[in-house]
Amino acid sequence: MKTPLDEVLMITALGSYVLAALALLVYFFSREEWLRLFGAPLAVLGCAAQFAQLVVRFETTGIWPLLNLYGSLSLFAAMAVAIFIGFAIRYKLWFAGGFVLALAAIFLAYGITWNEGTMPAVPSLQSYWAKIHVPIVVSSYAAFLVAFVFSGIYLVKYYAERAFEGAPSARLATNTGAAFPPGATASVSLRRDTPALEAAAAHGNTVAAWFVALPTLAQLDIVVYRAIAIGLPLISIGIITGAMWAKEAWGAYWQWDPKETAALFSWIVYLAYMHLHTRHAWRGMRTNWVSVLGFVSIVFCYLGVNIWISGLHSYKV
Amino acid sequence: MTALDRTGVNRAYADFIATFGSVLFAVSLFVVWGLLTLVGVVVDQGKDFPTYVASYGAPLARSIVRLGFDNIYHSPWYVGIVALILTSLTVCTFKRVIPARLPRLHPVAIEKIPLHASFEADGDEAGVRERVATTLRRRGWSIRERAFGGVEWTFADKNNWARRGVLVAHIGFVIIAAGTTMYWARGFSGDTAVLTGQAVRVPQTGAILRLDRFAYKIQPILTKSGMVYQPIDYVSQVTVTGNDGVPRTLTVRVNHPIDVDKTLYYQASYGFGVRFAISHNGRPDLERSSRTLFEGDSIDFPDGRTLSYERFVPTMDRRSGLPAADPRVNDPGAILRASVDGQSVGEAVVPLRTWIDIGDGWRVTPQRYVLYSGFQYRYDPGIPLVGIGAFVLLLGLLISFYVLPARLFVRVDRAGAQRWRVGVAATTVKGYDVFEQEFQKLVVALRPG
Ligand code: HEM
Repeated sequence: MKTPLDEVLMITALGSYVLAALALLVYFFSREEWLRLFGAPLAVLGCAAQFAQLVVRFETTGIWPLLNLYGSLSLFAAMAVAIFIGFAIRYKLWFAGGFVLALAAIFLAYGITWNEGTMPAVPSLQSYWAKIHVPIVVSSYAAFLVAFVFSGIYLVKYYAERAFEGAPSARLATNTGAAFPPGATASVSLRRDTPALEAAAAHGNTVAAWFVALPTLAQLDIVVYRAIAIGLPLISIGIITGAMWAKEAWGAYWQWDPKETAALFSWIVYLAYMHLHTRHAWRGMRTNWVSVLGFVSIVFCYLGVNIWISGLHSYKV
Repeated sequence: MTALDRTGVNRAYADFIATFGSVLFAVSLFVVWGLLTLVGVVVDQGKDFPTYVASYGAPLARSIVRLGFDNIYHSPWYVGIVALILTSLTVCTFKRVIPARLPRLHPVAIEKIPLHASFEADGDEAGVRERVATTLRRRGWSIRERAFGGVEWTFADKNNWARRGVLVAHIGFVIIAAGTTMYWARGFSGDTAVLTGQAVRVPQTGAILRLDRFAYKIQPILTKSGMVYQPIDYVSQVTVTGNDGVPRTLTVRVNHPIDVDKTLYYQASYGFGVRFAISHNGRPDLERSSRTLFEGDSIDFPDGRTLSYERFVPTMDRRSGLPAADPRVNDPGAILRASVDGQSVGEAVVPLRTWIDIGDGWRVTPQRYVLYSGFQYRYDPGIPLVGIGAFVLLLGLLISFYVLPARLFVRVDRAGAQRWRVGVAATTVKGYDVFEQEFQKLVVALRPG
């Protein structure tokens, strides 16, 4: 029997993600350049295959493909990879790709288990708002996934620095200042934010050297901030368009439905992140923990509410 | 008021401002707000006490009801926390946001600012200053010069307007809160069920809603996990008479509400009313047979006997006598429950047009079904405000996150004959790290040669 095109594309996407995740995870630890050159195009291929799959599915069935967990998790994985690719190209962050792709592959594989075949939408989902609200919300989740991965790397590096602080080499650490144009003196004190790791690396510790080769904590923190700065406006627009849709479908723009309120909870967590981030003393380890908590709340809002809590948003058949 | 009292009041006021003006206090309020929101996600809202007892056990159920967690979003806790956040927002705006985001021009100790650089330049002082100013202007900085204590300072700003982004976001939230309050103060909502061919009067508006016809479409679909009966459409044809007294025939569908005198009516649900034929010792009881019962309604009989119509069964499985999964009407029946003095004495699935004997000579026949349509209606004068607030909030978020206002402080000091030392420092509203690379490029551009 011939496999339908959308399934071929889905298999291509999942296969590419798994291979790319493996290659980039090994790249993360080994820094072997060829692994990046192998993994990055695979990530792009997988992402393109996923978007193509969604288009093919829509074309062949005529049904908007994002109205069940299968379709929406598929878009979630595709958007997470797409946002990551954007970040990786703009800020040279391919080293973290293995984690993003591994998560994308897991979510996609889980989504596939929800594939029930072609189903027309129930009346409340037959709305042009479905075409606006769902992709926006799912994209916000994807941006938060990227933030989560970089927060994880931030925290690992942060605690590695704490662990090396007691090492004898750390006492010899000096803050040599940032690389600045010759003839100009400058002190950008935040540049060298892991002196203990740098000192240990200078003394030949390979683990420390490996950590030092990662971006600085400040740079990682900026990446997390930028990802959340994509996710927070998107989830805000998602909540607002959801409210507009709810007004049309259920009669009130806010029903305190578990899904809405779970999204509001995540919004509050990321709002707290943004406020804490304006305070110098909180920017860093603590805000990155808030980002981790934020993503846990997103997973709960996205999957937990659909699966465990029934409400107007439970699309389970 | 004595001087002592005044000091006390002043101290309390100062404490209030210090507490409510603190971002960490605001974040603590967010935490409480978040937790209360989460309670409503986890605890099913608006259920009755026995439902909570069944789900959580009696002690927890009692706490849920006592603490108002069964209706958390309208509880004093929830309203209170939002009110505290609004208070904090107001205090913070004046105490922190305006001073932090819109600071006056003032001299700084350049070396104390983490992003700083200095270099030497030859020429006369005015020439050096002009060169710096021209380079900055060319790169989109707007320049202002001021003297403080006899020292000339050059201040350069980029995206100065965007310093107001936070204020815009905060105002957006306040507008949304105002819109929501308007609904509480002047809006209303409700729901009603109308049987085919009958009319109801909406108590709040006086509008008359008559259901001419209701139709639903359900499609059976064979999925990987079995047969699924997917609802495709619910359509109500209604005749509505509003304030002007003119009846209008309209169609209400899911996602397509109708507007009658600014109150919106939505297709919310549907169901099956049932007409019963009731007889006592073979003689028809016309009074008891005259009503159409909705699901959950009951008929009282003498001696504390009650019969309630629990649920309609569109398709019965004749072999098992139980309801089948198909929600389309093929072989209909009704689930009836008999009780005596409030105690259930039995429940049965009764096919339409077959009778059951409930004792003492009473015989009940579910005769025929009548479709009803459930409507929700709502008048919410706050919607335009909430919409504007949402837009303003979003605008504020985008400005705050995507436009980075930065300020440069430039000072020129003599370093020798015809030689000047130019000190430059940069601040942004988001710390120093975000601006580091751009600052480095700027210093390269400013240095002579
Ligand atoms: C609940 C709704 C609120 C929203 C939507 C909101 C939104 C924002 C946004 C978007 C920012 C900019 C963050 C950044 O640029 O990274 C911000 C900053 C800020 N917010 Fe809020 N906020 C809210 C509540 C509050 C409250 C209750 C306070 C009271 C303390 C507050 C105080 C501040 C302060 C002090 C800043 C930083 C100003 C600075 O130091 O530059 N906000 N807010």
